[in-house]
Amino acid sequence: MGPILWLSLRQLGGRMRLAIVLLLAALPVALAVIIFFTAGDEAGYESDFVNVLLDGMIVGGIMPIVTMALSTAVFGNELEDRTLSYLVLKPIPRWRIALPKLLAPIVIAGPLLVASGVAATIIGLDSGPRAAAAVGAALFAGVVTYAAIFTWAGLISTRAIAFALIYVFLWEGLISSFIHGVDYLSVRGYTLAIMHGIDETGLQVLSSRVIGLPAAAVGAGAVTVGFFLLAVRRLRTMDVP
Amino acid sequence: MSESTTGHVIDVRDVSKWFGSVVAVSEVSLQVNPGITGLLGPNGAGKTTLFHMIAGLAKCSDGEVSLLGEPVRDNPQLYRRLGFMSEHEAVYSLYTGRQFVEFSARLYGLEPRGPAVDRAIEMVGLTEVQDRSLGTYSRGMRQRMRLAATLVHDPEVLLLDEPLTGTDPRQRVEFQELMLRLAAEGRTILISSHILEEVEALAGRILLMVSGKLAAAGDFRAIRAKLDEQAYRVRVVSSSPRQMAAALVQTDAVDSVSVEADGGLVVQSRNVAALMKSVPLLAQQHQVRLTRVEPLDDSLESIFSYIVER
Repeated sequence: MGPILWLSLRQLGGRMRLAIVLLLAALPVALAVIIFFTAGDEAGYESDFVNVLLDGMIVGGIMPIVTMALSTAVFGNELEDRTLSYLVLKPIPRWRIALPKLLAPIVIAGPLLVASGVAATIIGLDSGPRAAAAVGAALFAGVVTYAAIFTWAGLISTRAIAFALIYVFLWEGLISSFIHGVDYLSVRGYTLAIMHGIDETGLQVLSSRVIGLPAAAVGAGAVTVGFFLLAVRRLRTMDVP
Repeated sequence: MSESTTGHVIDVRDVSKWFGSVVAVSEVSLQVNPGITGLLGPNGAGKTTLFHMIAGLAKCSDGEVSLLGEPVRDNPQLYRRLGFMSEHEAVYSLYTGRQFVEFSARLYGLEPRGPAVDRAIEMVGLTEVQDRSLGTYSRGMRQRMRLAATLVHDPEVLLLDEPLTGTDPRQRVEFQELMLRLAAEGRTILISSHILEEVEALAGRILLMVSGKLAAAGDFRAIRAKLDEQAYRVRVVSSSPRQMAAALVQTDAVDSVSVEADGGLVVQSRNVAALMKSVPLLAQQHQVRLTRVEPLDDSLESIFSYIVER
């Protein structure tokens, strides 16, 4: 697994891509600082912070976009460059190709987004370290789940980015905001539920619209494992260019 | 070097491959055994698709492929015994040549890797430039380093799809020597090309593909003799067409000569090699300046059509 993970990290570590990812990850922290100093005393501040910055911006926007940009590229670039045959023509089981390809975007996006979310929460929300830890853990779970979906998407289509954008903004963004039941099938829903489940007091503002922690954990785990297995299956059955 | 229980190292049985309504390979059956076999065909004949099916990269729409007696599809362990070099020249350009071969060696599970990597790079003659980034390599050097990565685990079977692309004449000779040496050690080597001369120097046996079908298979010389019965057309443009035409019709290699409106000569011959030698000599003898000598038939296309028609 080591050489493929290392290769994938180097492939994803292009300067431009990393610069954009870093910029996106820094955005919530910068915004948290501005909001804290400009609106920290206003009524309803905490609710707005959680709904707009944590949910709307980080969980609903930056996390899926960053994970999508990295995860769709991890196989997408190999297919586009026609280098995937260097990996699949080796005497290794397909899961040993799919796993490092899944891990590479997580290794890059996970710490960045966790750090971003934790820092923004510490700065903007006066709910103590437990809330920050909850945000960090939930974001990590969200990154892993999204990474599994988008890694698979990068393997099945050369237009994975388009598919991913439609999925994120239509399903995760629009539909899950209006139809409560969709939270059971939404990475955004899982992330918010895990966040709230770990710190119900500090993130109480989410309580009216999240599913239970066990359901979210099982859902995120099932989606991750399911899409990882789909990626493994795809590697076994696809025609490699 | 072992063979399969069927007696053939590569056994392709009634294999077809279609993409929607396009048939890329149609009911091809062939067997390949130790030694060098050339797979010839013009571009678009289905050689690469067939190679991909033999290597297990593509699923057969119909028929079966076995390699060393085992089904090749979804059988990764078989790749310990197979080396495949695709026609695509892409490499991981973030690696140096050596890192690229080492990467392959690690995925093949070779331990210790160092000697195997050294040997493979030495085989292709790139020891001196092994630590340079692949991005700085010439096309020919990249091809050779890709070959090193294909050979690093010392495979019994080699599938090489257009391996000589981008190589210069000296590199071709070295490649041919290497292949002959590997074949002499008992390996099975299948090389595809759309250039007859590339395969002629290497393969005793050839397989000819045209339009997704196997047009001919067998001893190279027998097939070549059949090819020599076909007339080729060559266009000759010179400073004195009449003088050149008069000289050309005197030679045994030429069947007929016609003069075109622009002064170009269309020469028909059944011995194109002799014709190509004669043309510059005759021009020199008669002090005629040649401005162009070009085959009018895409040689392989015409050869294949000829064989198929027969």
